[in-house]
Amino acid sequence: MNLFSAELWNWGSPVWLAALAILATWLIVVQSVSRLWMVLAGLTFLVLAYVSPVGVLADGYLFSAHMLQHLVLLLVVPLCLLLALPPTAPSASPLPRWKQLVSIPLIGWVCGVGAMWFWHMPTFCAASIQYGPVGLIRDLTFLVAGFLFWWPVFSPTAACRLAPPSAIVYLFSACTGCTLLGIYITFTTVTVCPAFANPVDRVGILTMLYNGGFTPTVDQSLGGLLMWVPPCFLYISVIIGMLCRWYTGGVVAEPATVGQPATAGQADSPPS
Amino acid sequence: MSGHAADRAAELPADRGSAYTTLLSWVTTVDHKRIGILYILTATFFLCVAGFEAILMRIQLAVPNNTFLSPDVFNQTFTMHGTTMIFLVGMPVLVGFANYFVPLMIGARDVAFPRLNAMSYWMVPFGGIVLYYSFFTGEAPDAGWFSYAPLSTTPYNLQDGVNYWIIGLAVLGVGSVAGSINMFATVICLRAPGMSLQRVPLFVWMSLMTAILTILALPALNSALAMLMIDRWLGAAFFEPARGGSAVLWQHFFWIFGHPEVYILILPAFGMISEVIPTFARKPIYGYAFVAGSSAVIVLLSYSVWAHHMFVVGLGQGADIFFAVGTLLIALPTGVKVFNWTATLWGGAIRLTTSMLFAVAFLLEFVIGGLTGIMFAAVPVDWQLSDTYFVVAHFHYVLIGGTVFGLFSATYYWFPKMTGRFLCERLGRWHFWLWITGFNMTFMVQHFLGVMGMPRRVYTYDDHPGWGLLNGISSAGAVFMAAGTLVLIWNVFRSLKRGEIAGPNPWNGFTLEWATSSPPPPENFPVVPEVKSRRPVWDSDHPDMADWKAARTADDSGRRPDRRKVLAWAFIASEAVFFILLLAAYVVFNSDPEMTGPTSSTALNVPRTGIFTAVLLASSVTFLLAERAMRAGNRGGFTRWLLLTIILGLGFLGGQAWEYTGLLQNNITISSNLFASTFFTVTGFHGLHVTAGLIVLTIVWTLGLRGELKERQHGIVSGVGVYWHFVDVVWIAVFSIIYLRVLQ
Repeated sequence: MNLFSAELWNWGSPVWLAALAILATWLIVVQSVSRLWMVLAGLTFLVLAYVSPVGVLADGYLFSAHMLQHLVLLLVVPLCLLLALPPTAPSASPLPRWKQLVSIPLIGWVCGVGAMWFWHMPTFCAASIQYGPVGLIRDLTFLVAGFLFWWPVFSPTAACRLAPPSAIVYLFSACTGCTLLGIYITFTTVTVCPAFANPVDRVGILTMLYNGGFTPTVDQSLGGLLMWVPPCFLYISVIIGMLCRWYTGGVVAEPATVGQPATAGQADSPPS
Repeated sequence: MSGHAADRAAELPADRGSAYTTLLSWVTTVDHKRIGILYILTATFFLCVAGFEAILMRIQLAVPNNTFLSPDVFNQTFTMHGTTMIFLVGMPVLVGFANYFVPLMIGARDVAFPRLNAMSYWMVPFGGIVLYYSFFTGEAPDAGWFSYAPLSTTPYNLQDGVNYWIIGLAVLGVGSVAGSINMFATVICLRAPGMSLQRVPLFVWMSLMTAILTILALPALNSALAMLMIDRWLGAAFFEPARGGSAVLWQHFFWIFGHPEVYILILPAFGMISEVIPTFARKPIYGYAFVAGSSAVIVLLSYSVWAHHMFVVGLGQGADIFFAVGTLLIALPTGVKVFNWTATLWGGAIRLTTSMLFAVAFLLEFVIGGLTGIMFAAVPVDWQLSDTYFVVAHFHYVLIGGTVFGLFSATYYWFPKMTGRFLCERLGRWHFWLWITGFNMTFMVQHFLGVMGMPRRVYTYDDHPGWGLLNGISSAGAVFMAAGTLVLIWNVFRSLKRGEIAGPNPWNGFTLEWATSSPPPPENFPVVPEVKSRRPVWDSDHPDMADWKAARTADDSGRRPDRRKVLAWAFIASEAVFFILLLAAYVVFNSDPEMTGPTSSTALNVPRTGIFTAVLLASSVTFLLAERAMRAGNRGGFTRWLLLTIILGLGFLGGQAWEYTGLLQNNITISSNLFASTFFTVTGFHGLHVTAGLIVLTIVWTLGLRGELKERQHGIVSGVGVYWHFVDVVWIAVFSIIYLRVLQ
């Protein structure tokens, strides 16, 4: 048995329908194919998250595959879909209310980091594995939370985006949030998701997994490391992008502040 | 110091002369330049002390089977050498240079909080005195500079040395964090108009990055120190495996601090080199954005690679692979900077002053230290070479070849600005060549010794083939370095009296410190120059070739946040790391369902504490109402809401006292078991923070009552508010994890 064995692929997953629906909606709303490749990249990741061995193993076999699936749903798919949206032209009129709301960075941050923490508390993690509808809700919350998380960084509306230094703080603190969860899962002796401790061998691969070294303890610590390191590298890559944006942008005509009194912003009140 | 003071006095108007010559004026000073000099002088003193310890060790190791030092004394010597060099030399001297030059380079009058700055400085000699007082108690610390548990716990270390180490480092830690918060607030809030963050000199940027690193890394050490202290003094067993504790946890906590510490020591040196090389190559730095941006990336990555210090512990293959990859990655932003500096030299009109010689030596020697560092990222190589002299050679190439050479370069570069006189170039070359020779003699051969299997921290060794010769070369090199240091000290004394007079801008430097006299007046600048690019002094000297005409940089938005709010936010960020680690310790020690003795489910009254939690959270609401009343100008409302906040806070503390009394009556104390130890540690430190908050609130309330809270001081109230809300947020985490057991 190898990676391409039929047992490890789930070609009949309903995720195809969801992908087609998203593609159709995008084509109708955007009416342009200039960023089609980005939508297709996002949808490919979405489909692979369920159809590929990651999806099959995530379904009750391996905690690490389950974690990988979550990361794709939370961080990769929403990021691609968001980047696929065409930039909106700057306008003088105030932002619509929903845009104002989702642009509050605290909301995006809490959704993004909170979704990961929430669904990895032992109770909720077990419930989402055992009951199909709860699992569906979990996956949907990941997609929505991921969208909200990336919105303040990559919103197509420039006015909704954080300034690069703030975006760096936003991403770095999110990195800290997932690092803490990753460290906890990697090193804890508690079984974070009891469903994976004694998997039901649906497709007859359990012995192979255990022989390959994927015992539940190793599996959980690998899951923790996946939670910990790859998202941080993704955040740091985006931070590098933000730094580039910061150093190259912001060059406008004469600065408005030059010529202010030399003491502006300096010790205008008694020292500490 | 007196020579310097006299020299300064000669340059100052007569009416100030007497004040400047008195020792008292130095002790009570809040001027950032004088505090910077005090830092540098204190660090130089401890450099001599730690250098003397190094000489003692090299005498002992010069020949095989030597008996010059006893094993005990040797252990104390290398522990004190390492601790002193890191905490009493490396950090203070870099902070000293930042103190002196950052405000000058950003066109500010002083740092954001001058008195806090003085306090931060005085923590250094106090911490040093506490650390060195241990010698008078019979035994100095002897568990190595990272005091690995369980060697540092009481069953294995009964004398007082480690206690002095803990207290000394805690005192120094308070000073470092306070100093860094101050530096952070200074750069964020006090930049001259026109100086956007994208235009600050690279030394300023590196100092800002170092400040962030210190603010977020030092608390990890502080939490580990607090736990070790509780182990040693109150009988807990956090780090004692025999009683259920975890020695590996100490290593995790120590290196979460320890790895960023490496960057705390090297980033300012990067900054110094990035000032010296462009000046003496007569070119702007090549790739400013890359040098600055990659340093920000280093800051972020440095928190995710600590476990590469622990490959030999046995963390498991998965963890090893991830940390190895992380370590290889962090080498990239560091390594590519070497190309930036080299490219800056390329085609430049190079002047090989002593400062420049040290900068070039930095490039070469630091690369050697960096390359051996990358070798350690390969896990099997690490297993083979860990705890050998190869490690000693590696980090001395980083810390001497990198940090110390950067410092020497900066000393020759900025001495004319600090004193008005040049250092003697002829003596400078003696200093340079003595150090280059001695340094490479001492540490290059240690690579070979390490590969041959000589362990570090052994007080002597058998006469294996080649070991005696190589150790002899290593010890002889130390003599050259000591001689070089004496030449530098002599050069400083001589130049203070007879050095050639330097004008305001003797090297034709580019940045704002060269826009004022040498030494600068107490107020720094009579008129703050216009800043329109990264090289304002170049622009004013060469208006036709000004940088802002050729290469535009991001303009200044002119926004400068309130410095008291910045202070409060930076402080709570630091405190958050402290609590996160304490809570992590709680989670680690309370995940075992088989634990004997009291646990959170058997010992705690959750509903009762839930009520007191509501009381504490209500105090945040009343504080917000008080703030709103203040903004509306309603003084009566403000003091009433604030009083209610204080009463609610006291109510919470009362609840905690009630809970503690009940536990103690049931014989549950901090040493009962690991649940009790972690519980009392986390809630106790939180209680201390509530108490501190209440004291501050009471002060603000009294000021409000007397009507002494002016409108411009509203920032203080906001700052206090940030802290008070933070204390509440921490309690929510404590309550969820300890009482509601969400992670179990």
